[in-house]
Amino acid sequence: MADASRRALGGPGVLLVVVYGVLALAATGRSVLQISEYFERAPLAYLLSAFAAVVYILATWCLARGGRWVRVGIVACAVELVGVLVVGLASFLVPAAFPDKTVWSHFGQGYGFVPLVLPVLGLLWFRRLEHSALARDTDSRASES
Amino acid sequence: MIEPLTYAVVGASAILCVVAIWYAVRDRLIDDLLLLLAGLVELGLVVLLVGGLLDLGHITDSAERATFVAYLVSLPVIPVGTAFLAIKEKSRWAMGAVAVGAFAVAVMTARLLQIWVSYG
Repeated sequence: MADASRRALGGPGVLLVVVYGVLALAATGRSVLQISEYFERAPLAYLLSAFAAVVYILATWCLARGGRWVRVGIVACAVELVGVLVVGLASFLVPAAFPDKTVWSHFGQGYGFVPLVLPVLGLLWFRRLEHSALARDTDSRASES
Repeated sequence: MIEPLTYAVVGASAILCVVAIWYAVRDRLIDDLLLLLAGLVELGLVVLLVGGLLDLGHITDSAERATFVAYLVSLPVIPVGTAFLAIKEKSRWAMGAVAVGAFAVAVMTARLLQIWVSYG
């Protein structure tokens, strides 16, 4: 397990962990205060913020751990991508439903479109990890027999 | 006290960012100088956190105050987190991670300053 996590962190993965971590932090802080301070103002937007925050935390964890978390990470990134696309589109089509911003509003404009780009990078990185893990597994199986 | 301190933190994290990029380009690993800089940024952020929380009445709008507190509490996590990664993961990518973290600290602290100054 130790070498799996090191492999996950190696190279560009560290950068992704930091960017994801910062976004997770920002989204969490924001949604905790939105929900505790003025939830009734825009319940849908704030629940979405909280959901996004949880998914970002999960993705950060999966990126940092690697190994068997890669599968979970792929699902988390896919959920983020769908989230940013659906909420992004909805915030343009039905602005009345989003009186306050979420991380995903207007395709993540408030965060320099990072929420739009990040899941794609995450998916690419996880796919690479998965491939290298597969290659390693078949290698070790071949050497065992 | 908050205002000059935020300027100092923005400056220090900008320096940390540049030094980390320099290290990444030269393929150097984390050393005492970088840790010292990260420590200075961290110290500034912790003092800012305490000072900001003690003087929260300065920001009269509750929504703005909430944002301010969220940033204040999140900020000190970043230098510790990236320094930890840089010590654990010895590669130039880790220096890139420190640079990204320092950049985020500079931007978020500038946002703190913006909120604070708008209340006179």
